[in-house]
Amino acid sequence: MARKSEYRNRVELVQGTLDMLVLQTLQWGPQHGYGIVQALHTHSGEVLQVETGSLYPALHRLERQGWVRSEWKMTESNQRARFYRITAAGKKQLASDHDRWRLMVGAIAAVMQKTGSTE
Amino acid sequence: MRVWRWWFGRRGDVDEEIQTHLRMAVAERVARGESPEEARRAVLREFGNVALVREVTRAAWGWEWMERVGQDARYAVRQLRRSPGFAVTVIVTLALGLGATAAMFTVVNRVLFRTMPYKDAGRLVVIQESGRRGVFYSGVPYLDIEAWRGRAKSFEEIAFSVLAGGRTFLEGGAGAEQVEHRMVSTNLFHVLGVEPAMGRGFADDKNAGFAETGDENTVVLSDAVWRESFGGDRKILGKVVKMNGQSYTVVGVMPRGFGFPAEAKSPQIWTAVALRDSDKTRTNQSTTYETIARMKHGVSVADAEAEMKVVQVEVAKQYPDMYARDLVSSAKVKRYRDSLVGTDVRRALLALFAASGVLWLIACVNATGLLLARGTARRREIAVRGALGASRWRIVRQLLVEGLMLSVGGSVLGLALAVVLLKVFAHGLTTQLHVDGVMPDERAIGVLLGLTIFSAVVSSMWPAVVSARASIEPALRQGGAQSGAARGQHRVRGLLVVTQIALSLLLMVSCGLLLRTIYALQHVPLGFLTDHIIVGNMTIPAYKYAGQDMATELYRPLLERAKTLPGVESAALMTEVPLGTTFRMVFSFGVEGNSADTVKRRDFRAQFRAVSPEMQKVFGFRMLKGRFFNESDTPGSQAVVVVNRAFVKEFSESNDPGKMLGQRLLSLEKGKPAIVVGVLDDERQVSVAEKSQPEIEVCLPQLTPQSGFYKASEGMAMDLAVRTERSPASVVPELRDLMRKASPELGSTKFTTMNQIVEDSYGNQQIAARLLMVFGGSALLLCLAGLYGLLAYLVTQRTRELGVRIALGAQRGHVMWLVMRQAGWMLLCGSAVGLGLAYFTSRLVGSFLYGVKPHDAWTMVAVSVLLVGSGLGAAFVPARRAAKVDPMEALRAE
Repeated sequence: MARKSEYRNRVELVQGTLDMLVLQTLQWGPQHGYGIVQALHTHSGEVLQVETGSLYPALHRLERQGWVRSEWKMTESNQRARFYRITAAGKKQLASDHDRWRLMVGAIAAVMQKTGSTE
Repeated sequence: MRVWRWWFGRRGDVDEEIQTHLRMAVAERVARGESPEEARRAVLREFGNVALVREVTRAAWGWEWMERVGQDARYAVRQLRRSPGFAVTVIVTLALGLGATAAMFTVVNRVLFRTMPYKDAGRLVVIQESGRRGVFYSGVPYLDIEAWRGRAKSFEEIAFSVLAGGRTFLEGGAGAEQVEHRMVSTNLFHVLGVEPAMGRGFADDKNAGFAETGDENTVVLSDAVWRESFGGDRKILGKVVKMNGQSYTVVGVMPRGFGFPAEAKSPQIWTAVALRDSDKTRTNQSTTYETIARMKHGVSVADAEAEMKVVQVEVAKQYPDMYARDLVSSAKVKRYRDSLVGTDVRRALLALFAASGVLWLIACVNATGLLLARGTARRREIAVRGALGASRWRIVRQLLVEGLMLSVGGSVLGLALAVVLLKVFAHGLTTQLHVDGVMPDERAIGVLLGLTIFSAVVSSMWPAVVSARASIEPALRQGGAQSGAARGQHRVRGLLVVTQIALSLLLMVSCGLLLRTIYALQHVPLGFLTDHIIVGNMTIPAYKYAGQDMATELYRPLLERAKTLPGVESAALMTEVPLGTTFRMVFSFGVEGNSADTVKRRDFRAQFRAVSPEMQKVFGFRMLKGRFFNESDTPGSQAVVVVNRAFVKEFSESNDPGKMLGQRLLSLEKGKPAIVVGVLDDERQVSVAEKSQPEIEVCLPQLTPQSGFYKASEGMAMDLAVRTERSPASVVPELRDLMRKASPELGSTKFTTMNQIVEDSYGNQQIAARLLMVFGGSALLLCLAGLYGLLAYLVTQRTRELGVRIALGAQRGHVMWLVMRQAGWMLLCGSAVGLGLAYFTSRLVGSFLYGVKPHDAWTMVAVSVLLVGSGLGAAFVPARRAAKVDPMEALRAE
């Protein structure tokens, strides 16, 4: 059924990971919500399709924490959209998130490798 | 800060953000070749639930609870507007409770907790001496103060002061005005921690506190005097002003709002105390000073008092006269603030405050009952909300907000009621408690706000929880039948009404006791007439008559002129009218020695009055034996005095008035012994409630400047009593004119009537009785309303059951009896509990009562009958409605 194939691309992301990805995207320059979705989709090799239902809450959460700032600007197609940009505090948070992520990845990889060798 | 950013900016943004997102997604799909409608549908499907996303995004900020509360408030207002009767009832109910409590708190706050214009007033104390006779002497000779300074370690500094003798008149811009003149030690302002606003104050005599030689005639003005008498003259320092004819130099002006003593009746000025010879000894002639001391940090009043008691034993030993030593063998230390209010006044105020709290409780209970009833009526609406997904907490919160709105409305109305109440009692408060302009201040309003929130929680929490916990399904079903839970609720509401009845009975019993007291006081035979007597309290500028005989220069002409006024039947002068409070003189025998007889004589105290012979015509009292003064008593004839029966009883062993006549008691002046020429029947001269005190009177015309009594009797205050049928409004201006002609300072004399003075003398009980009438009456009203409300509700609930009963043949009377029986049960239980409570607590008002015991059975029975009777009356209406139920209507299926 058509619906199932649509959802195939959705990957469940832990909340913290979504924050990190958004911050990373904004690292490349200020962007509006739709643009962030597209960017993530493109740069992940069309694997990650962020659910908008989680994106906007995440963006507002980040703004509340002071890691991003937002303002109304005009896009290329002359539409008014809310552009988000990362702040200095956000950059620090991104760095620490990235470190934690690398730690997580390394730990999981170690576990998976171990299981493979004992077989 | 974030709140502002959120409130004004981001709240509305989310919608637009989402719309933009959707538009861009649709645009991209269309660009890829889809049709607009398809694109839109696909985008929406992908997006998910727009509303939900919006909610969650908004929630990310964490401030949406404020919006929810705003929603609740708006909804509550809508609901309340739809049932105005209910809203008004609850608001009025709460207003009664909150208003009474607010008013009482304002009074208590003002009288007991007033803020004093001194630094760290908690550490200021008064030191008093006491001894054998159990009397506390707040005045002590200077040598004692010096001894305390040397020995007592609890105090940083001790200052002292004394009211200047006589009345002081300050000559200012508008003529001579009477001021309160206090002589103070030079360190007084330092002890109080307040510096003069202008000038340096008194030069400090480093140790003793007396004025340095040359500095005696210096004066410090209070802000009020500076502004009123001298027009706020900025160059007042160093100017010379005249007081009682003497010149003083102004050395300082105190800041606005400062006063010592704390609440002054007239404008104040202070001069430095001058050291006199009499201060070097401890005799009857030594000036006695009132002390005020600052305790060291960390010393408590109890500690200071314990130390003083020990120190005082040593100090007392230094008194040469053994009799005097006994009188000062111990000491007492009291906080300055507490010394301004008597203990029984304090207790009475707190008792009345408690009474207002009881009224508040009754009001809250009533409100709870009403809210419970309303909760039942709104069962279905709440069930629908629950079915739509509202959590229990959400429902409770919404009902709480409703309760809070009602409470706020009640507190606004209550504040208005409190102001009205305070205005109505203003006269009583001024005379009895010496506070005027009592109005709710910031502290009172703050407490009111807190109480409002508390009332809201107390009265609406429980109905809210009950409503929220009700099961949804039975409520949504058509024709909700009575379930077991509702039965329990009825029992609880019945219990609430019983509580109300008990508390109301408590208030009404206290009210009844006080009303009986007032009645008894009003019918005490005073021993003299009080109707149609106008009294003027004069303060005498004695300094103007130095070297003259005031009796002939001032008093005789004044009295003659007063008698000739049209409509005046008789007029008399006396140092103080009976029951007056402006000027009291106490007489004691000036004997020496320590034998048992002399000690008894020295202990003797009698009220002293100098009166003119016309007093008997004005007041119409009886003589028990002998005669009163008359025109034949002149300075040349035999000096005479008159005593009363109580004097005879206390003074002579034989207690025979006849034997008293002709006795020599005292000498008016050297070589002029006075004999007793008459014995008065007893009269109440100090207070209506106290029995007659021993009294001795001398004849005013007989006092010449040579007499020892002259200065005190004639030179300070005098009351003019005029018997006339005319109304006070017409006679007072003429009397005032008369006085002004005699001496300009007498123009500001206060006039009142004898009846008013009598009423003021039991003014404490009067206020308490009136207040309790207000409280008791409100409590009764609330109680009846609660009872009526509950019964009406029950009858509505039981309509079907009653219809069945009637259809099955029950008589109408029997149905009425069913309802009345329920009411009767509640009334009886409530009355029983209430009487029990009253029995235990009426002891608190015991000190106020007169002529009736705290556990008076008559009052309790009468009040109970009143309560039960009116309760049954209130129950009558629902009962009749129950009896009128038409069985056909009731049985028809709903």
